[in-house]
Amino acid sequence: MNKVLLGLLLGALLGAIDGGTAWFTPSVRAQLAGIIVGSTIKGLIAGMAAGFFARKVNSVPLGILFGLGVGALLAFIVAYMQHGYYLEIILPGSIVGMIVGYATQRYGMTPAPTR
Amino acid sequence: MRHNEHSGGGRFPATRWSVVEAARSEDVVERAHALGALCAAYWKPVYKYIRLRWNRAAADAQDLTQGFFAELLERELLSRFDANKSRLRTFLRVCVDSFVMNEEKAARRQKRGGNSQHVALDFAGAEEELATATIDAASLASPESLEEFFEKEWVRSLFALAVENLRQLCVEKQRERTFQLFEVYDLEGDDNTSYQRLAAEYGIAVTDVTNALAWARREFRKIALERLRELCSTEDEFLREAKAVFGWGAE
Amino acid sequence: MRHLSDKALTRLRAGEKFPDLSGTRYQLIGQIARGGMGVVYAAEDETLQRRVALKVLEVPGAEGELASRLMREARVLARLEHPGIVPVHDVGTLADGRVFYTMKFVEGQRLDEYLDTVESIPDKLRIFLRVCDPVAFAHARGVLHRDIKPANIMVGSFGEVLVMDWGLAKIVAPTGGIPQVADATLYESAQPVSAENDETQVSVTTGHGTVLGTPGYMSPEQARGEVESLDGRSDIFTLGALLRFMLIERSPRGSVPRLDKSLEAICAKASAEQPVFRYATVQDLALDVSRYLDGLAVVAHRESIFEKAMRLYRRYRFFILLIATYLLMRLILLLVLKR
Repeated sequence: MNKVLLGLLLGALLGAIDGGTAWFTPSVRAQLAGIIVGSTIKGLIAGMAAGFFARKVNSVPLGILFGLGVGALLAFIVAYMQHGYYLEIILPGSIVGMIVGYATQRYGMTPAPTR
Repeated sequence: MRHNEHSGGGRFPATRWSVVEAARSEDVVERAHALGALCAAYWKPVYKYIRLRWNRAAADAQDLTQGFFAELLERELLSRFDANKSRLRTFLRVCVDSFVMNEEKAARRQKRGGNSQHVALDFAGAEEELATATIDAASLASPESLEEFFEKEWVRSLFALAVENLRQLCVEKQRERTFQLFEVYDLEGDDNTSYQRLAAEYGIAVTDVTNALAWARREFRKIALERLRELCSTEDEFLREAKAVFGWGAE
Repeated sequence: MRHLSDKALTRLRAGEKFPDLSGTRYQLIGQIARGGMGVVYAAEDETLQRRVALKVLEVPGAEGELASRLMREARVLARLEHPGIVPVHDVGTLADGRVFYTMKFVEGQRLDEYLDTVESIPDKLRIFLRVCDPVAFAHARGVLHRDIKPANIMVGSFGEVLVMDWGLAKIVAPTGGIPQVADATLYESAQPVSAENDETQVSVTTGHGTVLGTPGYMSPEQARGEVESLDGRSDIFTLGALLRFMLIERSPRGSVPRLDKSLEAICAKASAEQPVFRYATVQDLALDVSRYLDGLAVVAHRESIFEKAMRLYRRYRFFILLIATYLLMRLILLLVLKR
């Protein structure tokens, strides 16, 4: 599977799971569906970005750092829009970014060069 | 074909592989030829060995040497030789030891002569060589040093025969100067001997020296290997002995 | 008859010991190695101004059939153009009558010496894969090596791996463009080789007419002298023995390490007693080793569920760690914020 697609799918999956963990916070349980959708989209964007980065730069440490950065940034934007829950959103979002950044570097396939 | 009274009557018959096999032949002439070749290569090492190892006077050693080769013929000692078990020179050396010990016991000292298999045994020359050599008889006490000594003398004898054959070949082919160059460089030379010096001394080009020496060494090698091949009974033995004689494979 | 002094004797033997290179374009530098049937010298090619390795057969009187066989062999090897096979540059006859050939001068270390500097198993396996490449290439062109061992593998100063000493190579049914030539091996099967020989020596029991090889690396069929039935699987046996040597005998700690079951299985399959149970080709062996390196299941070993789980864990260890970190972090947040 190519890096962008891997990043996209994995980011979406992890984002959905990350969003689903909001169920353990009773105060936001009512908005769970919206949180899951938002988190999924956040993960998808982070994953795609990490995938594109992995195509250009072949370095696992840099991929992890990039994922961390993108994940943290997107999570910050969401938290800012929520006006709260900064820790609960940014920290997991950063780690999800790291995971996607690593996975696209390590397991993504580079497309074959055109002849 | 090299005709030389020292070589036991000439080149070995082509039908036979080695002196060891031919020495077991039913044909008397072939047997005599074989033992002649054997004697030519081994008489001097045997003589020197008897002189130093058994500490015999020159006259006794001469007698024993001739007696040994006569015994070799009479008792067909070579029929007991097995190339897979030992080297021919080790076998002969051990036979010499037995022979000398038996002679001591029996105190038989018949003067033997006329059985030298058409080989002129230059005992006087051998004595001179011993006199000039710096060998301490006491250092020959161990079996290893005896084996080493005998091997060295055997190689010396083999090479000397080959050099003599080379000289005769050069005479035949009117290449006396080639032999002189070989003598000066390969036999008498030292670190100061160089192709340039020889070229200057002989008034020839350096390339002529190079080519002459290359030819002489090639022929020397061929002759020495032929003589060695005659003394070996199997290809394997020949290869082993060639390596030992020429120092191939030595570190 | 002239008496030869000790000095003359020494000079004659010394002259014989080193090859006479007069008439060639090579200048002798010194001896560098000694093989079973020949000595390898370093020499300077004065025409091309480069250093070469010059191998001279120590077989005396090497003319006639033996010399022409060597020439044919050199021609076959000259066509095995592969980065992992030492190229032959030149063949000829020296002024002293000995047959020689020159090849690339390799600066580096023998594999057994080089392995002292390699600690990790994956690094050793990567080196092994670089040995498999030229052997597979030769097999594809119908040439068996028949004497693969650490002493015949050089690792160059840039990490390049070269398989040397194709002196026992045998041409089987040739493919890939090399015309049919008579068997270029110097030796033909006659007698089996004693297994009691020192494993570090080439078992030169006799000269012309005996299978040569190295006990401990030679396949059973090669040791039995079944020359006609030898195929690539004989070299595969040897590669298996080589792999075992690299992984076990050259362990940096000195004690015998426990090999991973998959690696053990690869070694065992490669060096199976019966050819039919070995890998069919060198590529199959190399592929299994590559799979092991990539953390995938190998053909040689059927994993249990536990072994599979452990392998997957090892392969995705860091990924699993990240997931675990995420979950741990989530748990901590949950517990902290619930207070």
